Amino acid sequence: MAAAPLLAACGGDSGSQTLAGGKAPYPLARPDHPVRLPIKNSNPPVKDGLAPESGGDFKILNYDSYMAPGVMKDFGAKHNVQVQVTPYSNYDEMLAKIREPGESFDLVFPGPSVLSKMVYTELIQPLNHSYVPNLKNAWPEFQDPWYDRGARYTVPYTIYGTGVMYRADRVSDVPKNGYDLIWDKQYAGKVYLLDDLQEAIGMSLLRNGLTTDINTSDPKLVQKATDSLIELINLVKIQANVNAYSQVPEGTATIHQAWSGDPIAGQYYLPKGVSTDVLAYWRPDDPSQRVVGSDNIAIPKSSSKPVLAHMLINDLLDNQIALRNFGWNGYQPPLTKLSAQYLIDNDYIAHNLRDAVVLREDVTSGLTFYEVSPSTEALWRQNWSRFKAGG
Amino acid sequence: MAESRADHDHATRRLWPALALPGTVWLIALFLVPFYAVMAVAFSGNINIFGEPIPAWNPLDWQFATFGQVVSDSLSGPFREAWSRTGLYTLAALVICVGVGYPVAYYTARLAGKRRGLILALILAPWWINYITRMLAWVNLLQDDGYVNKALGIFGIAPVSWLAGNSFTVVMALAYGYLPFFIIPLFSSLDRIDQRLLEASRDLGVGSVRTFFHVTLPLSKMGLTTALVITALPLAGDYYTNTIVSGSPDTTMIGNQIELYLLQGPQKNLGAALVLLLSLVLMFFMAYYLVMTQRASRDAR
Repeated sequence: MAAAPLLAACGGDSGSQTLAGGKAPYPLARPDHPVRLPIKNSNPPVKDGLAPESGGDFKILNYDSYMAPGVMKDFGAKHNVQVQVTPYSNYDEMLAKIREPGESFDLVFPGPSVLSKMVYTELIQPLNHSYVPNLKNAWPEFQDPWYDRGARYTVPYTIYGTGVMYRADRVSDVPKNGYDLIWDKQYAGKVYLLDDLQEAIGMSLLRNGLTTDINTSDPKLVQKATDSLIELINLVKIQANVNAYSQVPEGTATIHQAWSGDPIAGQYYLPKGVSTDVLAYWRPDDPSQRVVGSDNIAIPKSSSKPVLAHMLINDLLDNQIALRNFGWNGYQPPLTKLSAQYLIDNDYIAHNLRDAVVLREDVTSGLTFYEVSPSTEALWRQNWSRFKAGG
Repeated sequence: MAESRADHDHATRRLWPALALPGTVWLIALFLVPFYAVMAVAFSGNINIFGEPIPAWNPLDWQFATFGQVVSDSLSGPFREAWSRTGLYTLAALVICVGVGYPVAYYTARLAGKRRGLILALILAPWWINYITRMLAWVNLLQDDGYVNKALGIFGIAPVSWLAGNSFTVVMALAYGYLPFFIIPLFSSLDRIDQRLLEASRDLGVGSVRTFFHVTLPLSKMGLTTALVITALPLAGDYYTNTIVSGSPDTTMIGNQIELYLLQGPQKNLGAALVLLLSLVLMFFMAYYLVMTQRASRDAR
């Protein structure tokens, strides 16, 4: 059972050099310490003015249900390729798949918390901006983001917040600290965490008022936050997955820690005859207490269709195509024209789910998961495995 | 003539070892090499930029700090519960297998007559369908508003939350999944019992219940042990059944913890150490089984 992944891990791929001292061998990007990712001779961008490749497969490595099938189908038809999606449910899985020896992907969606690592190990290639004129449609801060100055390797895909999705028809009283819903035993058996160690432990840090530094390297704080998650096992029979968008509408979950795209996409997962009024979403009122994140689009170095990959990136930054994609997956693209007000005015978001819309000030003043040092990462993982082992 | 006989002897001397070759290659390629790889990862002292262990192929480089940590975490730390759950669930599933499987194997071997072919086919029928598909079918049945709860509702029983980290569900699913592994070896052992011994017992005036306990059961002891061992090994290492019918940390078995380390993150050295530890525990039982079979075959001689 164990041998296959182990042997795969032994392949002589990138990143096989030893790491010592628990420190990353590259600078860790922070909003107040932005990073311009290096472009090496061994990993150049594609040249200008090439014709897009066509025929065969176009392989996307992405979260499940994260890009509209219609958008992919049209793109495939236009360029005469079969668009295929290989899904992952977290970055660990994504990194494992993209590093599989001999595997080739044409598009991938890394967030800032894994970016430097992927550039350092040459898993993704630099972009050639001459193929991506639509980058000008993005919010200015995403045309030159702190984690990738000059947008050398990435363009923005979506922005999202993290909060608590719940069934308004079953929850009569939402406490001021909405995270408390997850610790409320009257919903036992129907309460879920995001199956994501940063999101789950980070939420516990905030709920318990331990710190607002959701990237903390303090072992005591991480341990306390994890102990509080372990309490949930007996208290509410806690479970963890990333399916809030379908489980809350279908009713198998009453309370589910969720990304902001989940309630918006959830409107389409309601059983027949059930109104969107049953869906609700809570996030802290204060933008500086809100957890926000962004996902980016990048081209794997292993891509066999890098020019075509640039074309799809440019399409996804097109206002019309991005809007169509949002209408399906529920995650906002940070494009200037598609402001929160625009999305609400055009009925993309039900009135009662306004709290799920990510505002500009959320992104500028909210809390974000950063790429952390290997020792901090190990600390968080150790605690997460303690939770997963059942306490 | 003498010469050709020597040739013949020579050829047989080569033939017998040659017959063992496929098995030996199989064992080396698919057991020893992977097992060595697991050890190289478990005893690795270095990690790469992704936090993954760099396998230590040279035993002189082996470091045992991680393994020691995993052992101490298993004895008194965060893994203790997962280990005791693994033991408990395996034991409970085996008890169910004996309770359900023994009568079925007995009936098929001794009483089914012409229908035994049909019954054997029915026992094996679930294997025509993929294991995961069968488990997902259970998820449908056991959902909060699934047929099981609806059926209970007819008798006025309140709906049970089967899939929210329910140990009972996990044990039942495990027993269901591995029951055929249990029945088949037991059946073949019961089938081989000499009918005349049972007739002798009856002729001597012993009732059918006592015949069962004094003749059939002792004679099927080896078959029963084989069935228990064959079923216990995959039961103790299972993780997927649990993932499908529970997904809650409340029912985590050691296989789930191994899966977490090997497939959901870079700390494969911890996963590999747990694999070694689980193998050691199971090897202990295997060794006991082997000693027992050897003793039995010596007694038979």
